[in-house]
Amino acid sequence: MSAVIKLSNRYRPETSALALAGWEAFIADTTAPSWVQALRKRSGEKVRMMGLPTPKLERFKYTNIPAYLKMNSLAFSRVDMTIGGHKDYASDLLMSFDQDFVQEMLEVAPAGEGKYGDLMLWDFANSLIANGVVIDVPQNTMMDMPINIGYEGEGGHAYAPRQIIRVGNKAQVTIIEHHTGGGAYWHNGVTQIHIAKGAKVIHYRLQESSHESLHTQNTHVEIEQGGTYETFTLTLGAKTSRNQIHVDLLGSNAEVFVNGINLLKNKQLGDATITVEHKAPHCVSKQNYRNVVAGQAVGVFQGKVHVHQIAQKTDGYQFAKSLLLSPLATMNTKPELEIYADDVKCSHGTTSGQMDADALFYMRARGISQSDSERLLIEAFIAEVIEEISNDDMKERVALCVNDWLSKQVVA
Amino acid sequence: MIEIKNLSAEIDGNEILKGLSLSIGDGEVHAIMGPNGAGKSTLSYVLSGRDGYEVTGGTAELDGENILEMEPDERAAAGVFLAFQYPVEIPGVQMTTFLKTAINSVRKARGEAELDALGFLKLMKKTCKELGISEDMMKRAVNVGFSGGEKKRNEVLQMAMLEPKFAVLDETDSGLDIDALKIVADGVNALRAKNRSFLVITHYQRLLDYIKPDYVHVLAGGKIVKSGGPELALELEEKGYAEFSKNEAA
Ligand SMILES: Nc1ncnc2c1ncn2[C@@H]1O[C@H](COP(=O)(O)OP(=O)(O)O)[C@@H](O)[C@H]1O
Ligand SMILES: [Mg+2]
Repeated sequence: MSAVIKLSNRYRPETSALALAGWEAFIADTTAPSWVQALRKRSGEKVRMMGLPTPKLERFKYTNIPAYLKMNSLAFSRVDMTIGGHKDYASDLLMSFDQDFVQEMLEVAPAGEGKYGDLMLWDFANSLIANGVVIDVPQNTMMDMPINIGYEGEGGHAYAPRQIIRVGNKAQVTIIEHHTGGGAYWHNGVTQIHIAKGAKVIHYRLQESSHESLHTQNTHVEIEQGGTYETFTLTLGAKTSRNQIHVDLLGSNAEVFVNGINLLKNKQLGDATITVEHKAPHCVSKQNYRNVVAGQAVGVFQGKVHVHQIAQKTDGYQFAKSLLLSPLATMNTKPELEIYADDVKCSHGTTSGQMDADALFYMRARGISQSDSERLLIEAFIAEVIEEISNDDMKERVALCVNDWLSKQVVA
Repeated sequence: MIEIKNLSAEIDGNEILKGLSLSIGDGEVHAIMGPNGAGKSTLSYVLSGRDGYEVTGGTAELDGENILEMEPDERAAAGVFLAFQYPVEIPGVQMTTFLKTAINSVRKARGEAELDALGFLKLMKKTCKELGISEDMMKRAVNVGFSGGEKKRNEVLQMAMLEPKFAVLDETDSGLDIDALKIVADGVNALRAKNRSFLVITHYQRLLDYIKPDYVHVLAGGKIVKSGGPELALELEEKGYAEFSKNEAA
């Protein structure tokens, strides 16, 4: 249940979301199932009270969502979504067999209690609950083929697709999301993943949204004993994007790998905000990110590893490297380790710098052009994270996307 | 042939080369010797086009073309090769990728057909063998984790594969023991050819026992202050550079 939020007297909610055309009408829609109507109404009240996160909130310091909404007039709609690949256990949100489970999940408050910004986007998404996908994999099910979920954004719209993923004991699933679209729109996705004992979820996200769009993704993952969550996000698209991932390691020997490559150019902003909560002993968490920032783009990496007192023998690792390709490119990095257990192994590191001038000259002295030299250096910079993608098809696909980006970007 | 006339260059507003002239005929090997800080490496960087080295006067022509106006990669294509005093480590870029890109860039610019994967591998294996370089090294990142000797042999390997008209070797002997020095020198000697000239930069005479120069020059205070035959190197070995350092101070 949503945490109670105490507001100071001076608090003024940021209400640009309320200006979304059709928002009020949507909440008041009486044709939806009654529980959906009730949820929209309850969440709508909270949105009116709390508004949207603004850069005044520490966690949204660099990523200004209201500014985008003020510049673009959007109307709410359902998202254009396709489900492909192995579809046995996937269904549309409101048509899922287990509606009790779905209803329960929809109202589980995001973790990180009291994190206003997260609750704001969450409540906003709930007020617009309309469609999405439920993936419910029974125990001991090994899915050999991935489930493909495609989202196609359309200019002038705003939507809040929901993904609810439940994977039973010792089951295994691979999910590939692909985001594309045209024009200015807002995709505010919420994903909830529950990984039972010994189960494994591999989750890829290729974010190639329209370069005029706003893309906010809130993912909450719970992992039980011996479970594994492996995720990789390639961020190429959106004008402003925020990929927020919150992982709770609930049982011992659980493992989580959160990787990503953000390739940003022009005036794009790409934000990766990751929190890993070690709430059980003997768990492993690894974050490995590469940011390549060109033009006047802005990259944000906020990574946090929180090791609770009970989480002895934690192996925590957090690494983010950034390469700035232009003097006007910016990178904001905020690594955080909060450790309350005494027997842990935690390391973190962030680096941010320009292309190595000595290496560039060495290559050019061997006849390699400026643009080819830069390309080789950028490829080398991100190679390690591509190497860590466990699915070979995906590895190849990401390499192709990167190649394509580089051939458009590096023009000497 | 290479013709350097009255070359002046500065770094950060400090004049390092002060009107240097040097002419190297086809097939000739010239050695440049000089005290530390004389400007030997500066000359090699100016000839290869490194950023930050500003040419303030003079010319450097390779077969009648002024190379000073070219980009570094254009110079490489035109036939200039610099064996670095300190070869650069490039983590994440594999030797084979690097070599193949370099060779095909140069071949393309020279109007030659690019090598396919097989043709490239053959050439690489052959050259590795000739230079006593293990092929395992080619699977590693450029110069990363290479020993001093391996780095220098790697420079000669690149030189052999890129087939330059004019090669500058900057202190290729530094940091090498005598066995490594012999291998490197043999590699260089094997590349001596009628249409290829060498400028061998060294602080010590030792290297010149193995790579026999046609001419020896002394660089001090940003200029060639003395030129002669191979015997000049021996003379310098005996007397040191004190004489020229005095000139510089004067
Ligand atoms: N990047 C630099 N900035 C300023 N001065 C430099 C730089 N590199 C070299 N120098 C100076 O230029 C002079 C010549 O250096 P260098 O060409 O390396 O000499 P050598 O190779 O003959 O030992 C030295 O006085 C050195 O201090
Ligand atoms: Mg030097």
